[in-house]
Amino acid sequence: MKNILKGSLILLMTFLLGGCSKENLNPVPQTLLGEAQAFDTKDRVVGQVNGMYASVKSGAFLGGRFYVYLDIRAENFFPKSTNLVTNYATWNHNVLSTTNEVQGLWNSIYASINAINIFLEGLNANWTSGKLTTIITETEYNQYLSEALTLRAISYFSLLQLYAQPYNKNAGASPGVPLRLQAEKTGANNDLARSTVAEVYTQILEDLNDAEPGAINAYSTALLNTTRIHKNTIIAFKTRVYINMNNFPAVKTEAAKIVPAAAPFVAPSGHPHQLSSSFAAIWNSPYTLPESIFSMPFTETNTAGTQNSKAHYNHPSSSESYYLNRTAQAFTALNDADARKVQFQTGVVNSVTEYFVGKWRSFTPQIDYAPVIRYAEVLLNYAEALVRDGGTVTQQAVDLLNAVRTRSFPAGAYVLGDFADAAAFRAAIMLERNIEFLGEGFRNMDLARNMMALPGKGTVPAIQTTDPNYIWPIPENEMIFNKLMIQN
Amino acid sequence: MKKLLMMFTLFLMAGALALAQTVQISGTVTSSEDGLPLPGVAVTVKGTTIGVSTNASGAYVISVPANATTLSFQFIGYKPQDVTIAGQTTINVQMVQDLFAVDEVVVVAYGVQQKRDVAGAISSVKGDAVKLMPVQSFDQTLQGKAAGVMITLPNGVLNNPPVIRVRGFNSISSSSFPLVVVDGVPVFSGNFSANSSAANALADIAPSDIQSMEILKDASATAIYGSRAANGVILITTRRGAIGPKARVTYDGFFGYTQPYNLFEVMNADQYIEHKNLARTNLDPTLAPFTLVNDANGNPINTKWADYIYQTGFQHSHAITISGSTAATSYFLSVGYSDQEGMIQKNTYARKNARLNLEHKFNKYITFGGNFGLTNGLNSAPNTGSLPGQGFNTAGAGRLAFVLPPNIAPYLNDGNYNTSGSAIGNMGQPMGNLGYYNPVPIFDLNRFTSETDRLLATLTATIQPVKGLFIKTVYGIDNMMVETQTYQTGLTGDSFAANGFVGHTFNRPTRWTWTNTINYDFTVMEKLNLGVLAGVEEQYTKSESWSGSKTNATDPFFKVYQGSWVTAGMGGGGLSEDYFLSYFGRFNANLDRKYYFEVSVRRDAFSGLSIGNEWGTFGGASLMWNISREGFIANSALGENVTDMRLKASYGRVGNISGIGSYESLFLYGSGVYGAAPTWSFVQAGNPDLRWEASDKYDVGFSFGLLNDRIQVDLNWYYNNVNDLILNLPQAPSKGVPGNSVPVNIGAMYNTGVELSLTTYNVTSPNFTWTTNFNFSTLKNEVTALAAPAVTELVGVTSGLETTNRTLVGHPIGMIYGVETRGVDPATGRRIFINAAGKEVLYGHELTVPTVASRWFYKDGSGLAPAVSVASDGKPLGSTIPKVYGGLDNNFTFFDFDATIGLTYAFGHYVYNGSKAGLRDQRWWNNSVEVYETAWKQPGDITNIPKPVFNDNLSNGSAIIMSENVEKGDYVKLRTLALGYTIKNLPAAVGIERVRIYTQLFNAWVFTKYTGSDPEVSSNGNSNLAPGIDRNTVPQARTYSFGVNISF
Repeated sequence: MKNILKGSLILLMTFLLGGCSKENLNPVPQTLLGEAQAFDTKDRVVGQVNGMYASVKSGAFLGGRFYVYLDIRAENFFPKSTNLVTNYATWNHNVLSTTNEVQGLWNSIYASINAINIFLEGLNANWTSGKLTTIITETEYNQYLSEALTLRAISYFSLLQLYAQPYNKNAGASPGVPLRLQAEKTGANNDLARSTVAEVYTQILEDLNDAEPGAINAYSTALLNTTRIHKNTIIAFKTRVYINMNNFPAVKTEAAKIVPAAAPFVAPSGHPHQLSSSFAAIWNSPYTLPESIFSMPFTETNTAGTQNSKAHYNHPSSSESYYLNRTAQAFTALNDADARKVQFQTGVVNSVTEYFVGKWRSFTPQIDYAPVIRYAEVLLNYAEALVRDGGTVTQQAVDLLNAVRTRSFPAGAYVLGDFADAAAFRAAIMLERNIEFLGEGFRNMDLARNMMALPGKGTVPAIQTTDPNYIWPIPENEMIFNKLMIQN
Repeated sequence: MKKLLMMFTLFLMAGALALAQTVQISGTVTSSEDGLPLPGVAVTVKGTTIGVSTNASGAYVISVPANATTLSFQFIGYKPQDVTIAGQTTINVQMVQDLFAVDEVVVVAYGVQQKRDVAGAISSVKGDAVKLMPVQSFDQTLQGKAAGVMITLPNGVLNNPPVIRVRGFNSISSSSFPLVVVDGVPVFSGNFSANSSAANALADIAPSDIQSMEILKDASATAIYGSRAANGVILITTRRGAIGPKARVTYDGFFGYTQPYNLFEVMNADQYIEHKNLARTNLDPTLAPFTLVNDANGNPINTKWADYIYQTGFQHSHAITISGSTAATSYFLSVGYSDQEGMIQKNTYARKNARLNLEHKFNKYITFGGNFGLTNGLNSAPNTGSLPGQGFNTAGAGRLAFVLPPNIAPYLNDGNYNTSGSAIGNMGQPMGNLGYYNPVPIFDLNRFTSETDRLLATLTATIQPVKGLFIKTVYGIDNMMVETQTYQTGLTGDSFAANGFVGHTFNRPTRWTWTNTINYDFTVMEKLNLGVLAGVEEQYTKSESWSGSKTNATDPFFKVYQGSWVTAGMGGGGLSEDYFLSYFGRFNANLDRKYYFEVSVRRDAFSGLSIGNEWGTFGGASLMWNISREGFIANSALGENVTDMRLKASYGRVGNISGIGSYESLFLYGSGVYGAAPTWSFVQAGNPDLRWEASDKYDVGFSFGLLNDRIQVDLNWYYNNVNDLILNLPQAPSKGVPGNSVPVNIGAMYNTGVELSLTTYNVTSPNFTWTTNFNFSTLKNEVTALAAPAVTELVGVTSGLETTNRTLVGHPIGMIYGVETRGVDPATGRRIFINAAGKEVLYGHELTVPTVASRWFYKDGSGLAPAVSVASDGKPLGSTIPKVYGGLDNNFTFFDFDATIGLTYAFGHYVYNGSKAGLRDQRWWNNSVEVYETAWKQPGDITNIPKPVFNDNLSNGSAIIMSENVEKGDYVKLRTLALGYTIKNLPAAVGIERVRIYTQLFNAWVFTKYTGSDPEVSSNGNSNLAPGIDRNTVPQARTYSFGVNISF
């Protein structure tokens, strides 16, 4: 009996003790950081800055597919595969609001915009509260601010390229995209109407102009100068924004900050951007020549992801890449001695030897950087703006065009007399851009800002500016969950 | 006062005198069937707690008070008997077998109850019913066995976890899968593999170790599991030691063959060339035609790709069990080995398991017990494209079997694999780059395995200080180690670009559960039986996994992680833990087994919820009235014909936490890299107000027996109102919230239906018996609220790429959503689409002049039409939830033969036949023979296949969900056909008591109008939002097995 009592008592004790691990009710994750600690050290702040870049570098956006969409919609490429996962519907102009490209790109860009807004909210809140003043300097605060604002501007600009009518259609009066400018972390604020294209451009320029003064002049290493935003990056991007708005005086003003009045064309302040003397060298490791103003970096352990990389879409060894349309102007106008044609790779498709853009030659592993902005573009923007603003062709404009052209094709230099009028020069600029930036996502942008049809290729007909599929539809999920959204 | 005191003392003395007067009664208890003694029979003095058990010889001695009137004899499997003492000192009893099993014991939460005392809705399935099935895990055999429980085997991939729903869909964003409890310990369930070799955690519980399975369905049965009870509970009890003087040794073994059935019939090379060239001509007559290709011997190639993917698999399985008991100890020991090849080449499952269940009565107060189960399972499978998320994998074997052209071969004429980079080569045919992989090298060279080592152990100690009072502590652990290994060749396929890939993931989920209960059953005034249970339970779960990968082999020789690779991947892993603390109690009372009342309450805290919201209170109550025991009924005509009439009703509020992770309520940042620079990014928008998901459950039941319990009927009506759903509220993508959703407690849905379980003992003569088990369940599911006005619908996506389902308020969950089509226009051969305005629109893929928009035009000739799309013209096309489902089992014995015919059925639902869209796709993909034979050729043809135009992937449904591909999924399936013969009465020298040899056919046939391979399918597994989808999965397997059961 005694033993029983003892046993029962023991059990009863364990019974009562059983509920005594209440602190286990609040475990703390060991691999994820709580909100409150995200701004505790400088490394974490810098980590968040790099996190914004990592976000825009997503495979759907600047890490790969975005440029592909802008190229394959035009006339220069044919697909090796009809796989819908590798953008066949975009090439075919068969996209719907539920197509993966349409939903995926929108999701990716807005995820980056929200990541930037969250960082801005946290950075500003912690700076005003004083927590950050002991961790970073005011210069650094301004620098991080400028990087965030510029990335946001790039994101909104990219959205407008596919989901809205060109600015130049009607001075931006068409519906644009919703302007999300505050951090979204809860279930509120789903409904937001589209701002007009003009309003979005205003915000883009406001962000860029706010960013420029506080931006860092130049980083200490070539890698940082290529992969992080500095003052000249912002200026270069402004030339792109202004030329898309046909605001040529502004292009000239901005370009003049980083392009001197005469050759040699080297940026006079900040990081000394200049053309690389060899076209091929741009595409080789370490990918950080001064010509590369802003590129997305990759390493063996940090690639673009399955079916996302530039190599996947341009390398002959890829079964889903796109080869060049040999009847399109970008190919026929190339002289055999042009370095850009020499750069091409070849591969056999359907028993025929076809040409592929050879800028991303590393297939295993796929670590070639993806360029977002190159100095060559600034020169061509400047040249075009000079002529379209003045109405006449000037030697300065010809020199700028020649700088880019003769870098790859020394025998192809133009002279002033080659151009009967401004229109002829514009055509030459368009051709040069077509050739120079093949595969870098410029063609659609250049055609759209000039209100030109997207030429056809093979059995795919041309798309006129008045066709509904000149631009992409708004994704289905946005239509469903944003009640103020209007479809294109 | 003095008088009272005197009376009291007299009373006491009388009592003492009475107590002092005890009578000793002894006797023997035997079985009336064979006269053999029955040990372990409970002999009790009715109305008291005095009782003994018969010993190994069936004999007992009991001291009863002088005024005792009745002795009760109770033993499992036999009808209880009450014998009047009437002065006898020797009472021998012959117990009669309970053929109709009305007095079985049913396992309930934290205890057992007699079947006739059970007020909750509980379905019982015996372990013997499932132990001989040629499957990998017991949950694959439960379909049709329990009313209200719908089990779907998604396909024939080995160890792919079945979809289990108890009384409908009880959640939208969280899981609807029930809680699985083994010997009192909630265990891990689901697929634990990190690659395509599915590893169902429930397969670690060897079917031969299972004694019984109880499925708890309504609130009164499940409420004691509180916050995890909303989806129902499956209680598994493993076998105990056999009672009897001799240890029982059994051997169960079978071997079998498995094959896929209902494979698609696709075109051969000649038909393919003819049809595709017609399509190419219809698009553009200048296109180069497809031709036959000659192999090395000069004969035209005609490849049957299915032959390279499917096979006849061989399976064999063995289990030996030894069980017995001595006076104080009972033991059950089992060892098993199972080696199964599946119907897909390279798909195998091998399991080695051992179990020891011990129970030892230390003395008459204290009992110890320990159950230990150790399992090692090795799963291997190619990329079948049939697990959730795999539907559109380029390497998916299910699709490769029917999509690849028959005029190309897996090998080139020089003997090498036919590949072109990562894809299969086109052997010179003008098909462009095919994109899909050559299945032969990727089957030959790639390797996907997952190996599970599992320890399931329970330690129990019970103290019974006084009769009826049990203090029990149970400590259980569920420890798993899962190692997943993947090797992909760099020669071709997914890892061509990376020049080879190898990756390992090591996952160690562990859990301990500690339950302490006090249980007191006692009787007051002979008729009022009361039971009280109070308990505390803690559970701690930790999940740790880490992974490493490498790419770019330095030499194709290296196929293992330990080889030489150029690039080391980033590695990864996960780390999470959660903790549960609960207090619970249950009170049940019955008056003379006529009026029953039960109530249970549970207070749960879960660490994954936000601070301040961790605690939730749940509970349920039930009432039951055993009408047959009422005097006025028992003596009436009704009482003579109808037995055991019981009317019951229950209500409870239970919860569901399966959708809440360990850190769901927090705002968190995750890390990564940008190039080589470390990053921090916001990754989770938590909800600090997140609460339990909770539902109200109502149940009314009526059960009775007819013809003296020959017919047993159990009817239940239920209504489950899930009114505090956790919804992962989709957000407008422009907000950029990580995952585009935020978890919020909002929304409501209900399930209601009627369940009928019928057991009839049709014939019970000594040489021929026929028993039927029939169950029939109806289900109506409706979503009553989402998060209006912000969210009025949710989408369900198949494998992340095809939006197939939509969940709308006022409709069942997961309806197929697409555009309506009405066949093919005989005049033009175009598919007829119905747009939102109800007008008929035709689609012609080759019409691109003047613009691509010319492809769409009105049938009535009124001009071009806007393109039809799901977004603008879609509507619900059918519910994927069966309206009626169940099973019909017929068991026969004829002399020494036995036979079983088991049927399962489901009616009233639709299935989206996505594979059919692929079978009619007019790109270079191969098509079904139906397309070849019935494609529209000239005006006037009436057919369902439109004019073939090359590259048309819209008229067939690849690029749009359409009603042409939504089919009724009604089916009757012949699930099991078994025939056995038992040899008894062997000479004693042989040492074998009986041998049964049997043959069995599993998944024998399906009767259905569905044109896919099997209407029992789910490409999205257990998904709540996207059920009923058949997209590129492999078919089901039919297994023939031959086996033997030997009892020594």
